[in-house]
Amino acid sequence: MQEHVLELSNVCKKYGSFSAVKDMSFAIPKGSIYGFLGPNGAGKTTTIRMILDILKPDSGDINILGHTTALNVRHRIGYLPEEKGLYKKMTVWSIISYFAMLKGMDKKKSKLRAFELLERYGLKDYALAKVESLSKGMGQKVQVLSAVAHDPELVILDEPFSGLDPVNQEVLEQLIQDMASNGQTVIFSTHIMQHAERLCDRMLLIAKGTKIFDGTLNDARALIPRRVTLQCGGNVDTLRSTEGVLDIIEKPMDEEGTGLRQWEILIHEHANPQLLLKNCFESGLSLSHFDYTQPSLHDVFVHLVGNDAKEHSLR
Amino acid sequence: MKVIWLIAVREYIENVKTKGFWIGILLIPVIIIASIFFQTLLADSTPTRHYVLIDQSGQYADAVDTAIRQEQQRRILQEFVSYVVENRRETNFEQNSANANTQIDQLIDDVDADEVAALDQWLENGGLTFALALASPNLKEDAPTFEPPREQFLQAPVPESVDTSASPEEIVEQMRPWLNGERKLAVAGGTANLFAFILIPADINSSIVRPSNSMTQAPSTNGGIQYWASNLTDVRLPSAIERSINSSIRNQEFSNRGVDIATVREVQRTRLPLQQLDPKKAIGEEKVSVADTIQQWAPVGFVYLMFFSLMQSTQYLLSNTIEEKSNRIIEVLLASVTPLELMMGKLLGIGISGIITIVAWLGSFIGFIYFYPGAQTELISQLLEVLLSSDLIPYFVFYYLAGYALYAGLFLAIGSLCNTLKEAQSLMMPMLMVLMAPLVTMTFIAQDPNGTIARVMSWIPMFTPFTMMNRAAAQPPMIDKVGTTIVLLLTIVLVLWLSGKIFRQSILRTGQPPRVIEILRMLRTRA
Repeated sequence: MQEHVLELSNVCKKYGSFSAVKDMSFAIPKGSIYGFLGPNGAGKTTTIRMILDILKPDSGDINILGHTTALNVRHRIGYLPEEKGLYKKMTVWSIISYFAMLKGMDKKKSKLRAFELLERYGLKDYALAKVESLSKGMGQKVQVLSAVAHDPELVILDEPFSGLDPVNQEVLEQLIQDMASNGQTVIFSTHIMQHAERLCDRMLLIAKGTKIFDGTLNDARALIPRRVTLQCGGNVDTLRSTEGVLDIIEKPMDEEGTGLRQWEILIHEHANPQLLLKNCFESGLSLSHFDYTQPSLHDVFVHLVGNDAKEHSLR
Repeated sequence: MKVIWLIAVREYIENVKTKGFWIGILLIPVIIIASIFFQTLLADSTPTRHYVLIDQSGQYADAVDTAIRQEQQRRILQEFVSYVVENRRETNFEQNSANANTQIDQLIDDVDADEVAALDQWLENGGLTFALALASPNLKEDAPTFEPPREQFLQAPVPESVDTSASPEEIVEQMRPWLNGERKLAVAGGTANLFAFILIPADINSSIVRPSNSMTQAPSTNGGIQYWASNLTDVRLPSAIERSINSSIRNQEFSNRGVDIATVREVQRTRLPLQQLDPKKAIGEEKVSVADTIQQWAPVGFVYLMFFSLMQSTQYLLSNTIEEKSNRIIEVLLASVTPLELMMGKLLGIGISGIITIVAWLGSFIGFIYFYPGAQTELISQLLEVLLSSDLIPYFVFYYLAGYALYAGLFLAIGSLCNTLKEAQSLMMPMLMVLMAPLVTMTFIAQDPNGTIARVMSWIPMFTPFTMMNRAAAQPPMIDKVGTTIVLLLTIVLVLWLSGKIFRQSILRTGQPPRVIEILRMLRTRA
């Protein structure tokens, strides 16, 4: 059996009458990169706070690194909260060293570690600067480093990518991959699917406090039908009888006045798109565009929580 | 424990790095030193003031002149006394105090008891010249020469254009350009502004108020000596004039009634000394010395010290907690340490900086006394001696720490409830009101340290540190000492425990500060 660093079973949390997290259960295997995905207000941060025992769950059990509370294994966990903040008057290296020391590292080692991390992730020149002189993005990088400086077995990053420019997002992705290859388990929450797609071994999708999906990227993709987009002059109804076609939906064209129409054809996961192309030729359709792509995580996300997310944003 | 220490050290170091900490440390010594230096400086820098006197009655000009010169002699006398104290040779202090110095000591004593008489004696003996001759064998060899203070008031001649025989109204009209500062007086060595103009009308004697007629007729508002000056705050000149003229009138009155003035003088200088005795002291040593008085009042100083230091520390705790909350640092901290560890670390760290501030205050105080021996510091060094020899210091240490734990716990809880300083202000108001109570009653309690109010206030834990400190020198009953200490310690434990609860539950809160009912709910929760 695979070793799990974290297991939640039937965890619930209410704020007054509002259920922030409902009956949450999942397990995270050791050494994986695990994504917490979900729209705003889904309950990601609440779940993370309960994992860290900053908040107490109303019911349910949490097992973290073999203990029932994160407080017993604090030194083996690294945490970056969603809302970022640092002591403004401290220098960059000393704040990293301070947090490492709070996690049980000795003073000398923590200083060496701080400088090592700053050098490796491109902040060497700022080591002696005060935090208040840093830009927001740089400050965030410093905070990520201070969360992981003590080499924790389990790293929990809440929205680590928000507020970073694309270059620094890549640096952070690299840091996460470095930690995973080092045998550390990384959990991060995000609502940007590209990061999850590139990094995660497994992912958890939450909406309205409920688990919607838990599995690998391929599992997620399998949740929604594959689709073929095509553009042609005539009607494509004849394709309906092709094996594996589930549905055909007409989509508005991006450009008007070309006389062409656009369709989206949903097919079975294991259906062969070649067959569809062949049928097109046989029925004499003149195609100007034929596109078959794997569904992106974004599509899965929208498919699963699209309505909820929209509803939420309108409120 | 290691974590608490880490947090405490960081709090301390960050606190030390702030400007406020150094301002706090330097402020009190600067105020003490400045107030001592400024006193001398102010006395030296007050300009000589010129007045014009027109005495139409021709009876009182001499009396006023004497009064002004006496005032000047009085200042010389005071300056001279402190000069002697400062430059007295240490080695033969004892033996000399027996002979020549006794006269000076007698003089100092007389100044306290009866100034007029002392001045008379001073003047009779030849004033400064005689005193210098008397004191010089007892002075240190490197003593600077004595410089008498500058004259404060000088009479200027009446401007030539003013007709001194005109009616009082006309004279005032003629003097107006000088009174308004439009014209300057011609005095020796240049010109000067007119400070005051005194007019004694010719019919002045008809305005004299006697007990017999004061009952039937109210003194007329226009009668009497006219003192014209735009400066209303410096009352030394008008009161000297009033005193001297009245004394001259009374002398006149004495001779009118056939009483010998010399006899009156003698009678006036007759006095019986009052000796203050303390029943609590050993037989034969009951005489109350200056040191005893200092010891009685020293607790008040400690209460002040405690108050300022506590205000400073708790304010820092509050703003610091709010900073961590509003910067969202708190969440990272809480993933690393428990709220209790965080709270204790903060209490300890800020406590250390508070103690260091107090030590720095006392240190600069002692340093000042050490490097600047003088008349004013004589008293302070006596004070210091009293403090070090009595048990006030241990009392202070205990009540300071207790007061700190109590108030810091409360302020931390308030800090954890609020997101901004602004929100905290409204919650702090009642706290500050409570803190004001010991300050307001301080003098009263020092005067009646074992009275009902003092005893009652001692039993209210919020006031115990201040009130008991205040009573420390008065040997409060054992029941008060032990009982209030137990109540205080229990309260501290309770407050820290409840604050810990509030701290833990509200430290991650955002948005509005909670309502009272929510705070009560927090206190009830088992966490």
